[in-house]
Amino acid sequence: MPRNDIEVLDTRQSVELGEGVEIHLRIAGPFPRALALLLDMLIIAGIMLVVTIIVGIISTGSGMVGQGVFLIVGFFLSWGYFTYFEAGKRGATIGKRALGLRVIDRSGNNITKGQAFIRNILRLVDMLPGMPSTAAGVLIGSFGLGFFCCLFTKKFQRVGDLVANTLVVYTQPELMMTGQEPTVDSLAPTVALAREEQVALADYYSRASMWSEARRIELSDHASELTQKRGMEGMIRLLGMAKWIKEKK
Amino acid sequence: MKEQDFEAKNLPEWRKYDATMEILEKGDVSAVDISKVPAQVRSRCLDLSLARHRLYGSRMCEYLNFQVTRGHNLVAKTEGGVREKMVHFFVAGFPQAMRREWRLLVICWLFFLVPFFGMWLSYDHDQEWVHSLLGEAERESMDEWYGKDSTGSMRDEFGSNFAMFGHYINNNIGIDLLIIAGGALAGVGSLFILLSNGLQMGAAMAYVMNEGSPERLLSFVSGHAPYELLGMIVAGMAGMRIGLALIKPGQLSRGKALMESGKLGLPLIMGACALTFIAAIIEGFWSAEQNPPELKYWVGYIGWFLLAVYFIFVGRNNQSRRIVIKK
Repeated sequence: MPRNDIEVLDTRQSVELGEGVEIHLRIAGPFPRALALLLDMLIIAGIMLVVTIIVGIISTGSGMVGQGVFLIVGFFLSWGYFTYFEAGKRGATIGKRALGLRVIDRSGNNITKGQAFIRNILRLVDMLPGMPSTAAGVLIGSFGLGFFCCLFTKKFQRVGDLVANTLVVYTQPELMMTGQEPTVDSLAPTVALAREEQVALADYYSRASMWSEARRIELSDHASELTQKRGMEGMIRLLGMAKWIKEKK
Repeated sequence: MKEQDFEAKNLPEWRKYDATMEILEKGDVSAVDISKVPAQVRSRCLDLSLARHRLYGSRMCEYLNFQVTRGHNLVAKTEGGVREKMVHFFVAGFPQAMRREWRLLVICWLFFLVPFFGMWLSYDHDQEWVHSLLGEAERESMDEWYGKDSTGSMRDEFGSNFAMFGHYINNNIGIDLLIIAGGALAGVGSLFILLSNGLQMGAAMAYVMNEGSPERLLSFVSGHAPYELLGMIVAGMAGMRIGLALIKPGQLSRGKALMESGKLGLPLIMGACALTFIAAIIEGFWSAEQNPPELKYWVGYIGWFLLAVYFIFVGRNNQSRRIVIKK
């Protein structure tokens, strides 16, 4: 398979570091991000509620100072909460941390304060349609545009991500199940395999024990051109070739 | 080397690295010898490349990938000091960005001033436009604040200056940010908000100048107008910078142009916020004070003059240019 096709299929972002090694970043989709957002919204609403109560108790005499405090706190929560946390060391708001997400630069580095600022100002555009308003003290919007922008960009970026050149990724590696290694005899492939094809075979080998036999055969049938056999026999031959490749390395 | 042997050989090292990373991620720099950390990260890079090359299982590759990523995040930091950046922004970055984007400055002023004066002048010919734009309630409150018969202080209640300061922060900077974000809609949002603000302010101006007490209005707005109006215009420029990336990406792809526009627009975004913040302070604590109108007018003139000097002359010498190149 040509390299480009693999990149289209994969939601991982490959970045080459200065050390000469490539790292894979696991991009987070709209769903976990929406959950993180919901969590952050609840936290902001909670803070606003507490501030309102405190201000109400303190300024029983004159409501004017309290009103000023309320407006300023509302402003900084609406515009500053996300920027403050995302520009911080962990690159994630409380909601994102709870879901194991963080914001990074496309190069894999932490984002700068400027990037955090830009992506969160443009949150307003991602909130469309439905006019975001500060009437309730904090910004609320439907995030329809942000959602569709996520779906139509390869790396699940909303408008703010595109302008600030940022990605939202998982912080933890994917949980990989491992089972027994298949017991087959190694078998030399009849043709020379490209690097990507070797990787695909090795992946097939290490994951084979997690699948049912029907699923293993279904996948090995796609490689019948290589194994020259279909069904059970094809699967055994494919696993054998994978084993041969792994042993040779 | 077999996968199991590789893992067995390196596992103690990986465990140690894992522990070091956990300490560093908590921000506790003193607990580990940080001079060794870059070398440790590089050897994880080596492990990862070996594991990939030898087609070890994806579980190990994922694990090493994770270790390299977190190490890289700790080692490769680009941020300079915040204070240094702030100083650079005010003595060079902001005025330079304004001069670089002078075309956008002109366009945004036009989109504000043409409707502003158009509305104002229309009053002499047809009062319907101004009246219908302002509406009944708005005209009544204008009569109350800036009417021919209104006297006395604008804010009597204790703490009302602070309340208004809060309001200006929330509302005015909020509008600036709205203008900037509106730029992402191919610039239409920015220009629309500038235009509608021009119409609204022009109508208010026409109404008070003709039916109310011009002195009350002008002495109120003159102090903060330079910063507030320019803040709004600069927000429009930042929005247009982003919008133009979509309309006219030039040699770049639209995605690349958007990224670039973010970088180019950042000083303008920060500048708009800074100017509007200054305006909110003046509007909250100075504009409504009872001082002679002449004094207030002069504060306004000096404001415009200072801004002009700042944007024309600051950040032109070699020293500040070198800072930019170094970046």
